[in-house]
Amino acid sequence: MLTHQNAEPKAPSRVVVLGPNGFIGRRLVAHFQGQGIPVASMGRDKVDLAAEDAAERLAAELQADDTIVFLSALTPDKGRGIPPFLANLRMAAAVCAAIERQPVGHVVYISSDAVYPFRSGLVNEESCAEPTDLYAAMHIARELMVKQAVKAPVAILRPTLVYGAGDTHNSYGPNRFRRMARDGKITLFGEGEETRDHIFVDDVSALIGLVALHRSAGTLNLATGHSSSFGDLARRVAALFPTKVDVVGTPRQNPVTYRTFDVAALNRAFPQFQFTSLEKGLAAAQRD
Amino acid sequence: MTAPRIAYAGMTHLGVCSAIAAASKGFLTIGFSPDRDLIAALACGQLPVVEPALDDLNRRSSKLIRFSADANELASCDVIYVAPDVPTDAAGTSNLAPIDAMLDVVHAHARADAVVVILSQVTPGFTRSRRRPDRQLYYQVETLIFGRAVERATKPERFIIGCADPSLPLPKPIDTYLKAFNCPILAMRYESAELAKIAINCCLVASVSTSNTLAELCENIGADWSEIVPALRLDRRIGPYAYLSPGLGIAGGNLERDLATVVSLGDSHGTDVGVVRAWQANSRHRCEWALRTLHASVLGNVRDPRLALLGLAYKEDTHSTKNSPALALLAALAPYVMTVFDPVVAPQAEWHPRLHRAADALDACRDADALIIMTPWPEFKELKPRDIAATLRGKIVLDPFVCLDRAACREAGLSHHVLGAPALPST
Repeated sequence: MLTHQNAEPKAPSRVVVLGPNGFIGRRLVAHFQGQGIPVASMGRDKVDLAAEDAAERLAAELQADDTIVFLSALTPDKGRGIPPFLANLRMAAAVCAAIERQPVGHVVYISSDAVYPFRSGLVNEESCAEPTDLYAAMHIARELMVKQAVKAPVAILRPTLVYGAGDTHNSYGPNRFRRMARDGKITLFGEGEETRDHIFVDDVSALIGLVALHRSAGTLNLATGHSSSFGDLARRVAALFPTKVDVVGTPRQNPVTYRTFDVAALNRAFPQFQFTSLEKGLAAAQRD
Repeated sequence: MTAPRIAYAGMTHLGVCSAIAAASKGFLTIGFSPDRDLIAALACGQLPVVEPALDDLNRRSSKLIRFSADANELASCDVIYVAPDVPTDAAGTSNLAPIDAMLDVVHAHARADAVVVILSQVTPGFTRSRRRPDRQLYYQVETLIFGRAVERATKPERFIIGCADPSLPLPKPIDTYLKAFNCPILAMRYESAELAKIAINCCLVASVSTSNTLAELCENIGADWSEIVPALRLDRRIGPYAYLSPGLGIAGGNLERDLATVVSLGDSHGTDVGVVRAWQANSRHRCEWALRTLHASVLGNVRDPRLALLGLAYKEDTHSTKNSPALALLAALAPYVMTVFDPVVAPQAEWHPRLHRAADALDACRDADALIIMTPWPEFKELKPRDIAATLRGKIVLDPFVCLDRAACREAGLSHHVLGAPALPST
């Protein structure tokens, strides 16, 4: 759960976004700019977190009152092996070392719901984070690194499957379904029985924004609390196309897994937050 | 021997109800507390607790009961019960210091031959650790139920007595006193009695947690838990009095305390207590039913709604708000205008920044977008859904304990959300 250092929202003096050019990062920068909050976009062009002198260079860019949103990561589409695992840890080590040199006011680390195993269908912030691959282990390790290195309030946010226009990844879900639909056919694993929670990218940006405004600390899952099957999702995506899109199943290779989030902690943290419905979110992604 | 004189030290919910029950059985009884203001109020008939039939029983027993702040009066008593409140922290861990403090007072003033009985709930091992060579110390399991305290105190199902040596007969004064209640007396080792209380509560929690889990499933698959319950009650292995009503987690504090005790004991002794932790997690999950339902039905799609809340006490027929789901809900709804009504509990400003007190239940509904009934007070069951529909601005009613008639809600066009069954859609 989160606790708010600012009971009433208060704009931070500046937000430093590490990873501003990714799927979430671009929307997040736009979100802060839209609110008139100064943003320092710290992309690879400015500070390459994989470089030897990354900590020194990043520290030189930081200010004591900054809120850092740490998004930079090699995502699973770059591989789930040992090299990206170690590269991600080195990036986090550089960020932590930079913050130790130049402390900041607030750090928001964007983790992932991958830290939870699929064994438990209902997930909340108390669920045991039990990584089953190196990508998930990387996020848990980075969460711990940040919490250990940062003396200021730290928020750990674990988004579930994020969808929206401009997603460069090709993971199984709405974004890949849209690409498949353009060719007239969406192919499912099995019949798409698995259920997952899908959150619209603008909702993720807005929630990160609220965490920054409240200078929140703690751990929070970013999920809507409503899960849909991939089959249902595929049919919703198909219906958005003017031409016929077939949704076809394939022989099942793996057991069906389910995931639903109990979002009571999010409801308590941000009582007035209203999620974009899947219907509206998919339509918006399609339009953009 | 003549009838023993009884004392209850600690005018708590437990102590007051037990002392009045003792007097009602014909025993001269002293209700002792060092709190002079409390004793003065009790002496005037002003009871610090709300319990059905308690005021009446107190009036009828007034010739035999006396309330006193003078510890010297304990010297006249043959059996002295020690019954202070045992506070618990947020994790359910007990602070037993008040029992030690009261034991010191009692031992300092009681006769050497008096029987001292710890009635407050303690952790296993406590009573034996407080034995004194020159004193007769016993432990008695309390089975107070808020809202049914008089019935439980005057007509107990059985007495469970913890003894240093259960093979020895009970001392005459306590034996005489307990037999006046005409129920089985089960004497056992201190530790067994201390754990028996926890065992009772664990069995209750197991039933409640099972009901809560399956009730939630009912809400999602089109089943109705209230249709299933009668079938369970007719099963002899489950029984007619089993705790099968779904609730908003485990409220009140006492059950949580026992679960925390079992977890702590289990961890320290290497016992698997995973099932108890699962009960705790399930309780936290179900406690948020109203918040989840509100977000899904109202807060997720209505801008700045006004909300009506009926019931603040943690259950009906009590003034207690300890661990009340209603207060937990209020804390999560700070941005919204709330109008509340409870027949006994007065709303307090520190509970919510935009809280308004209504004159009655229907007054609370006025211009509200949704109604939430968090405590099943009897008077809420008298409300007519058509009156609510005419007063409420919206159609949403969260009624976890099904105070309102389902069919009448449907006829009135209300969207009725209850524990254990799918919501009725509004018409």
